[in-house]
Amino acid sequence: MTGLGGFARRTERTGLAGLDGLTGVSSRLPRSLTPTAVVLVAGAVIVLVYGQQYTGSVFVLAACYAIVTAGMAVQIGFSQQIAFSQSVFMGVGAYGVAMLNSHFAMPVLVATPIVLVGAGLVALLLGSVVTRASGLALAVATLMLPLIAAGYVSSAGYLGGVVGAPLTGTLWPSSASTSTTVIAVADGLIVVIFLAIAVFVASRILTSDIGLELFVLGVDERTAAAMGVRTPRRKLELFVLGCVFAALGGAAYAGTQQFVPETLVDPTSELALLIMLFIGGRRSVIGAVIGALVIQYLQGASNWVSVNILVVEGLLLTVVLLVDPEGLAGIVNTGLAWLRRQRGAADAAASPAASVEALVADGTLATKEGGQWAIDRVGAAGATLAGASAVASGADGGVAAGTPLLEVRGIGKEYGGLTVLDDVTIRLPERGLFGLCGPNGAGKTTLLNVIGGSVRPSQGTVILDGEDITRRPPQERFYLGVSRTFQAVHLIKGRTVLDNVAVACLASHTSSIVTRVARSKLDDARDKAARTLSDLGMRGIQDREVSSLTLESQRMVELARALAPNPRVLLLDEPASGLSEEQRHRLAELLTAFGERTCVLLVEHDLDLVAQVSERIFVLSSGRLVFDGGPADFRASPVVNSLLVGR
Amino acid sequence: MKFGNLVIAGIVTGSIYAVFAVCVAVWYRVSNILNLAVGDFAMVGALGVDNLYRVKGLPLWAAIVSTLAVVGVFSYMYDQVVLRLALDGRRQMEGIVVTFFFTFALSFFIDGVAKMLFGTDVHAAPALWNGASLSWGSLHLERAGLLVLACAVIIGGAFWVYIRYTLGGKALEASGENAVGARIAGIDTKRYRRLIFVGTAVIAAIFGIVESPITGYTYLSGATISLTGFLAAAYGGFRKPGRALVAGLAIGVLEALLGGYVSAEYGDTVLYAILAALVLAWPRGLGFESAVTQ
Repeated sequence: MTGLGGFARRTERTGLAGLDGLTGVSSRLPRSLTPTAVVLVAGAVIVLVYGQQYTGSVFVLAACYAIVTAGMAVQIGFSQQIAFSQSVFMGVGAYGVAMLNSHFAMPVLVATPIVLVGAGLVALLLGSVVTRASGLALAVATLMLPLIAAGYVSSAGYLGGVVGAPLTGTLWPSSASTSTTVIAVADGLIVVIFLAIAVFVASRILTSDIGLELFVLGVDERTAAAMGVRTPRRKLELFVLGCVFAALGGAAYAGTQQFVPETLVDPTSELALLIMLFIGGRRSVIGAVIGALVIQYLQGASNWVSVNILVVEGLLLTVVLLVDPEGLAGIVNTGLAWLRRQRGAADAAASPAASVEALVADGTLATKEGGQWAIDRVGAAGATLAGASAVASGADGGVAAGTPLLEVRGIGKEYGGLTVLDDVTIRLPERGLFGLCGPNGAGKTTLLNVIGGSVRPSQGTVILDGEDITRRPPQERFYLGVSRTFQAVHLIKGRTVLDNVAVACLASHTSSIVTRVARSKLDDARDKAARTLSDLGMRGIQDREVSSLTLESQRMVELARALAPNPRVLLLDEPASGLSEEQRHRLAELLTAFGERTCVLLVEHDLDLVAQVSERIFVLSSGRLVFDGGPADFRASPVVNSLLVGR
Repeated sequence: MKFGNLVIAGIVTGSIYAVFAVCVAVWYRVSNILNLAVGDFAMVGALGVDNLYRVKGLPLWAAIVSTLAVVGVFSYMYDQVVLRLALDGRRQMEGIVVTFFFTFALSFFIDGVAKMLFGTDVHAAPALWNGASLSWGSLHLERAGLLVLACAVIIGGAFWVYIRYTLGGKALEASGENAVGARIAGIDTKRYRRLIFVGTAVIAAIFGIVESPITGYTYLSGATISLTGFLAAAYGGFRKPGRALVAGLAIGVLEALLGGYVSAEYGDTVLYAILAALVLAWPRGLGFESAVTQ
């Protein structure tokens, strides 16, 4: 919003009348309402003007498909849960309405909610089985759905088989005396309202805090779990959402066409839906709607294009994806961003103050800002941390001295016949920085994974504050205060620094997806993230996209993300790898400050760094703990020297 | 002898799936892209030969050679223009999803062109080996089926030998495992990607010509073939051609048996349900996890 606001101000100053109206609207309304309003108004106008003509009927059909693709944008595009269930549930909605209408003479508008609830329940049952699978397995398992459904529908007599199922009623509850024009227009308006609701729900979810969760889930399921996202639940919710949207689209289809053809559940119509989604823009709800409109318009054009629609679709999809993988929506966004930059450059030339701002935004100054890290301000960060851990352990007056906060007891891990960890026991108190060293393959990262929860040990227990957490999944450990960074940088590409940190500050994990339609708490998470970033002196880079940052800044963002939720245990996996001598020096100061406030377990290859910052050091070799002592002993130990230094 | 005949029929259809599964798996291994258009090349092979031979009156050998040449040149051009822009450009395509849709678009395009050129009727290339079906007692095997089996064995064997025993095969494997690493080691990964893409397209076309007398093709048959090949390849973890081959054969036999014993109507439905259950029950064992992480 700040970006848009700035744009609006600049536009005012330069007096670009053409864009004023647009930015004015978007700065007054919440962003998610703009697409809904556009769909509602434009759709209603088209229906009222072309209602009883051919163009109108093509538009209404396209709108039915657009309801489905809007759901696909959330499920397949944004969250990258590729499930080929849409055409089947479109069939569930359409056939459900057709059956209720023709057998029980139920009005379509009454049948629709009943069918939606039914479809939701079926999706819940089916989803609880299929969403156990991830990635390609999910895709292949759900690919069977249209194949099964197509075979079933064509031979099931009561559904009309290859002939199809007719309806007696229309969407608009009409009688025999109602004129066809009224029916066409009223039906069209109802479909437009359905579409507007679908677009509203979808864009509300995507712009909310759960939308951020879903984005992370789409990029990498493991990172999402480490950030506290309840991945199984979200995957199930997404599946159900996609199915219910599809069923709504199907119901609208049946109500307006008054006929359900057998081909609706075909794998081919699933492919057609995917083409609409990818041409329009897989991550954008409005893009998905436009994709459906474009394809249906081309198909209904009744000229050379509609006869050879396959060639046209193939060419169009290839060209659009070559220009931008994000489809038409991506192309438009790139265009708008370019336009905005042009304005920005013009402004920068006009006023010297603005040019400094622009330089910071472009990163010329940001490196310096990011590089300073404002060590003096770490005190403030520490204060926040100390406050939080006091709150966390405040109930029982804090952990008594001597009782460890984290205890790893007799941990063993075998992969096949290979022993990676063998009877490792480590106890860590509430505060302090502890080093974990060892040669490559010693089991350091595995031990972190065991503590973080992404690897389950073969033997032994992990105890946090007296509670056995060995069987808890990573996301629950995150709620209990275990936070981590990864050896390779696991930032979420395509999102700003602020959002990357906000991921760890979300309070949405226990909420259901539908609650976010009413109210998003993304701003709360962003505020908290912004505080952490400004405590670490990284405010200057908070609006930058993460992959444009230097490695040092990326590692800092990871540290900020691990620190933002005020963890009780902070697991750092080689935060110094790839950093220069000077950068390591700055990192050391920062780590020391962290260790004064919370419990930090640091895996690191740089022995000098470890010895400098740690109060106690553990050394692993071939999965066994071979050294445990202070930095002075560490430097003197013959075991350590022979293992790690080669003396 | 119903069982025996069903198994024979199953092996013949299964070997068709197997060959397409191998084509999908080998190219995925090189390029990390799932090729959904491979079946469409088979359709072009069958309908192209039919059109040139029956309608245009070319001699059979000339029809076959020119069809294969067209397929080869077209797939070469596609790699040079589209795949090069998509994969080697300054902005790399991210993720399996987007690249997958390029072959998807290609499939639509080929189907559309085929509809323009060959119409919508069922056609087939002329049988290459005429005569009554071969019989041993009550077991029957059509001559075309024997040709299909022979082709499957030769193609599968050739791929196996190539990957296992030649330097080119090793380089090909390296290209897929780690393209950057392979390039550093002096392997021209783009060349292998192109070689296998064009190679599998031509193989698919040959297969379409040999197989079409059994089933008959329309302009839409390609998608079905690709889909089954894709499924079989999936059960081979997408990067194991050997397992893809076995999976293809197994699916073919299972399909024939279910159709013969369970229900001709619901046989396929049961087959797909079994396949879905397998993925869900045993994803790691089937190699899905590794396909995802790489």
